Amino acid sequence: MAASGSGGSRADNGYGSQQQPRRRKGPGALATAYLVIYNVVMTAGWLVIAVGLVRAYLAKGSYHSLYYSIEKPLKFFQTGALLEEYLLIAKYLPGIVPSSVVLTAFQVMSRVFLTWAVTHSVKEVQTEDSVLLFVVAWTITEIIRYSFYTFSLLNHLPYLIKWARYTLFIILYPMGVSGELLTIYAALPFVRQSGLYSISLPNKYNFSFDYYTFLILVMISYIPIFPQLYFHMLHQRRKVLSHTEEHKKSE
Amino acid sequence: DGPYLKDYINIQSLAVSSIITLYFTDLGQQVGWTTFFLTEYTGPLLIYLLFYIRLSTIYDQRESRKNFRHPVVHLACFCHCLHYIRHLLETLFVHKLSGGHTPLKNMIKGCVFYWGFTSWIAYYINHPRYTPPSFGHRQVSFAALTFLMCEAGNHFINVALAHPSHSGLQACFPSPTYNPFTWLFLLVSCPNYTYEVGSWISFTVMTQTLPVGIFAFLMIIQMSLWAQKKHRLYLKRFYPEVRRKAAMIPIIF
Repeated sequence: MAASGSGGSRADNGYGSQQQPRRRKGPGALATAYLVIYNVVMTAGWLVIAVGLVRAYLAKGSYHSLYYSIEKPLKFFQTGALLEEYLLIAKYLPGIVPSSVVLTAFQVMSRVFLTWAVTHSVKEVQTEDSVLLFVVAWTITEIIRYSFYTFSLLNHLPYLIKWARYTLFIILYPMGVSGELLTIYAALPFVRQSGLYSISLPNKYNFSFDYYTFLILVMISYIPIFPQLYFHMLHQRRKVLSHTEEHKKSE
Repeated sequence: DGPYLKDYINIQSLAVSSIITLYFTDLGQQVGWTTFFLTEYTGPLLIYLLFYIRLSTIYDQRESRKNFRHPVVHLACFCHCLHYIRHLLETLFVHKLSGGHTPLKNMIKGCVFYWGFTSWIAYYINHPRYTPPSFGHRQVSFAALTFLMCEAGNHFINVALAHPSHSGLQACFPSPTYNPFTWLFLLVSCPNYTYEVGSWISFTVMTQTLPVGIFAFLMIIQMSLWAQKKHRLYLKRFYPEVRRKAAMIPIIF
């Protein structure tokens, strides 16, 4: 009975994957207010980062080592996205756009990982140019994304923002990924040298972890995952932008 | 769309007086439950033994040869094998598995999980640099004792569930017998999961290995979900008896 019981539940998982048609309810008035405020704050935050980058560039005259000028707001607002992800998963935040929770969770986790576990932890890579590469990519993407959400909530979405969101990623996404990969790669020798976040045998709890190998595995995982996300976005683009075309034609 | 048909129902017997619509779905590649469990449990059994004999490709040979092996390593191997041999024998001789099937995808997922974790834990327990438990013989003996008790308990519960006192419409919730291991039925509606969790916690304490603890933690989560589902089913079917019982852990959950 035990086996068939556990088997029974697994059979349900196999059969029961018929998805109910997603009935998307719009958020209520109070929820909308909160969401608008949240998205406006996030847009402003990333604008601050963008402005900070530009000012530092103008002040220094070169684009090297700009990380330090925007370090704190970057950490704050990138980690803030975790809260957003948690709210989405816990269903407190209704999905404003039909994006897969798993995919966005993945994206947020990888961003937070890069911000804290790589760039913050390995001080030597903070002067690398690859850091600037992904910071710029993230900044532009996030400004557009959060303003997109803000305008969607207010039901007043300018076509330009929608177009930008679903088109600029074509360049920004590979740019960001390159920056991320190059940064991790740059961090590798320092991790190896300092034994950062690594435990070796023998120890009382018989556990070992090699951060160096872990980072290499993370880099390898980009190979299957990045194309999936990229093509998903391309697919979304075709869907969303062709819808608007039809709308315009029918008017 | 509609309720599922059992394999043995003849379509002619259904469409006697009315017009019916049959929906067909391709469920993809399926495996039988027996195949599923046999594969899932044989893997860990063999994999652990591969690590136990210290294959030269896994561990450094010089280190392996000179190292004295603490008795707990041998005991752990014995307990691990006992656990999976018991599972295999029960799948073959005790469980009355329905003739149903499950998607192949589920079997792959299950095998990856079990086989992967077995490799991970076997690597550390059989490692030349393994550190035996901090509290020495007392910790090992106590944990081994609870492990064996949980294994026995799990076995007796499975036997009790496979031979219910009544069957069909008059089926009632399994009742405790003279066997003390079945007395857990008084407190809990899914004691088999309780004992399974107990086995793995005992194994963790016995080997004092963090990866085993992580595995046990994940098993607890999985077993809790299954127990909760089953408990709800029991509440619907056997309401008066099951009402005051917990799902898996007495009193708490």
